[in-house]
Amino acid sequence: MRPLRLRARRPGFLDRPGRFALGALLLALPLLLALLGPLLTGPPGPRQAAFTAPAGHLLGTDFAGQDVWRQVLLGGRSVVLIALAATVLCYALALPLAFAAALTHRTWLEELLMRPLDVLLAVPSLLMVLLVATVFDPGAVGLAVLVALVNVPDAARIVRASAAEAAARPAVEALRMQGEGWCRIALGYVARCCLRTLAADAGVRMTGVLYLVATAAFLGVGVAPDAADWAVMVDRNRTGLFVQPWAVVVPALLIVGLSMGTNLLGDAGLAGRNRAAARPRTTPRPRTTKGQP
Amino acid sequence: MSGPPSFAGLRPLASLRSFPGLRSFVVRRLLLGAGQTAAVVLLVFALTEALPGDAAVALAGDQPDPARIAAIRESMALDRPAYERLAHWAGALLHGDFGRSLVTGRPVTDYLADGLAPTLLLAALTVTLLVPVGTGLGVLAARREGGRADRLISSLTLGVYAVPEFAFGVLLVFVFALRLGWLPPTAVGYGADLLAHPEALILPVAVLMARPVCSISRLVRAGMIDALASPYVAQARRYGIAPARIRYAHALPNAVAPATQQLARTVDWLLGGVIVVEALFVIPGLGTVLLDAVKARDLPVVQGLAVVFGLVSVVLNLGADLVVHHLAPRTGVAA
Repeated sequence: MRPLRLRARRPGFLDRPGRFALGALLLALPLLLALLGPLLTGPPGPRQAAFTAPAGHLLGTDFAGQDVWRQVLLGGRSVVLIALAATVLCYALALPLAFAAALTHRTWLEELLMRPLDVLLAVPSLLMVLLVATVFDPGAVGLAVLVALVNVPDAARIVRASAAEAAARPAVEALRMQGEGWCRIALGYVARCCLRTLAADAGVRMTGVLYLVATAAFLGVGVAPDAADWAVMVDRNRTGLFVQPWAVVVPALLIVGLSMGTNLLGDAGLAGRNRAAARPRTTPRPRTTKGQP
Repeated sequence: MSGPPSFAGLRPLASLRSFPGLRSFVVRRLLLGAGQTAAVVLLVFALTEALPGDAAVALAGDQPDPARIAAIRESMALDRPAYERLAHWAGALLHGDFGRSLVTGRPVTDYLADGLAPTLLLAALTVTLLVPVGTGLGVLAARREGGRADRLISSLTLGVYAVPEFAFGVLLVFVFALRLGWLPPTAVGYGADLLAHPEALILPVAVLMARPVCSISRLVRAGMIDALASPYVAQARRYGIAPARIRYAHALPNAVAPATQQLARTVDWLLGGVIVVEALFVIPGLGTVLLDAVKARDLPVVQGLAVVFGLVSVVLNLGADLVVHHLAPRTGVAA
């Protein structure tokens, strides 16, 4: 017999807080491994036969006879650092562009800044990365720059929309009439109004950047063919999947945890902010010069 | 005729005149599409210019013998100024002439023709399954907001949405090919005729579908929740119309407009996903051709494929924006 169910649910599994916890849990292991792993590894042991079963080694050996566990410890750092660098660089380029376009009174300047980005939005991002990889060998830094550039149009568009809305408020007119400088208005008021959008976008952006960095590395862009990198490990050890699956499955699981965790956390944070947005408005007040009415 | 001629095929002109806003939107969107097309062609052409040093020497790569360098220089007309080459290349593109491979000397159109069938099959299968599965999951989740099914589907779609295809695919291969032995791990040995071996298609299509299904089901869920809370649905309930009919005949059509647009946006992912999935399952499609050409620095082949991929993406996005504008003229679309 089924117990009587009340209409009001218990706060259950996979609620927003539940999802936040799940995301944190999924993210914690790969992130810790990626950041602390390189500190825990000893010197490389002697190379052994390729794809041996986990005897003597925690996870066996890989295609080149290296210890898989050691490669796993070393391999997260590049993915995480390239993704972080690309996200930061993307905003470093997109924010000035977006604010300039939102705050200018000259329509031609806004068109000049934003239209080329609209045009670039149509090119699939992975295609763009592959195209550049045909001509240069980008390396890790190049990959970060490339992924950042590919993300600039979308990020700039979102930030500009939010900044344009804030820049049209009466408060900005008031600041202008008080003779505040452009910098003060842009950074002190408009940028602070955009923080919420920016935080929401950052979660989504980080997920997309991680996806692109890992996929590019899997396809051999920006990494050495024998690099200690989780995506490269998945690619190179695929040939031995039937003999020694752990060399593929462990890095693949770590990438899955990293990307799932980032997205779940980003969404949970976004939901919290949306709730805050539903409350009475708490936009930052324009800071005026003291003593003035 | 008052409208631009390129627009005439899309909608009867009579309805145009009553919607001046629509016309200007369509015109602006078409202009943007034309700009995007030009940008794709220019960007792809600029690749040759971006080659460091002497392009012919750079492309010769590992085999820098003078005859080969001279052949490359001649084949790509590198002696002529850039604008002349651009005009020539773009003019040839219009006639369907994509140039010749530097490695084999075969026309690039041959490569396109070889790889087209498997890629088209993958894409068509994915899109056909994508729409019902994504919509179904979205409707299921929206039946009771915050209910058990909703929480499960929402968390799952949120999580899977972020996962790169190669990691997801390799794990599926591990489980279904290696541990359970139900499906073949790759399409090796089946050649280009994949339809004769449907079992080899299950995993690739599943991997390719995973991310787009998530995004579409989330959009349909949000649209359904909005629609089910609307006054017209409340009125329909008061009339005593069956819940299933309200859900599918009244609420669903209003919930799919944003998803239509997303369907075209996912083409960006499908194009990227196809490259990864073909590499992962060793399917001889356009993605494999592109990756091989990138590795061999076979610039004309890369350029030809990039133009095709880029244009498909431009045209589909354009089409989706026009369709969405037709379905729900109030929703703003960037143009």
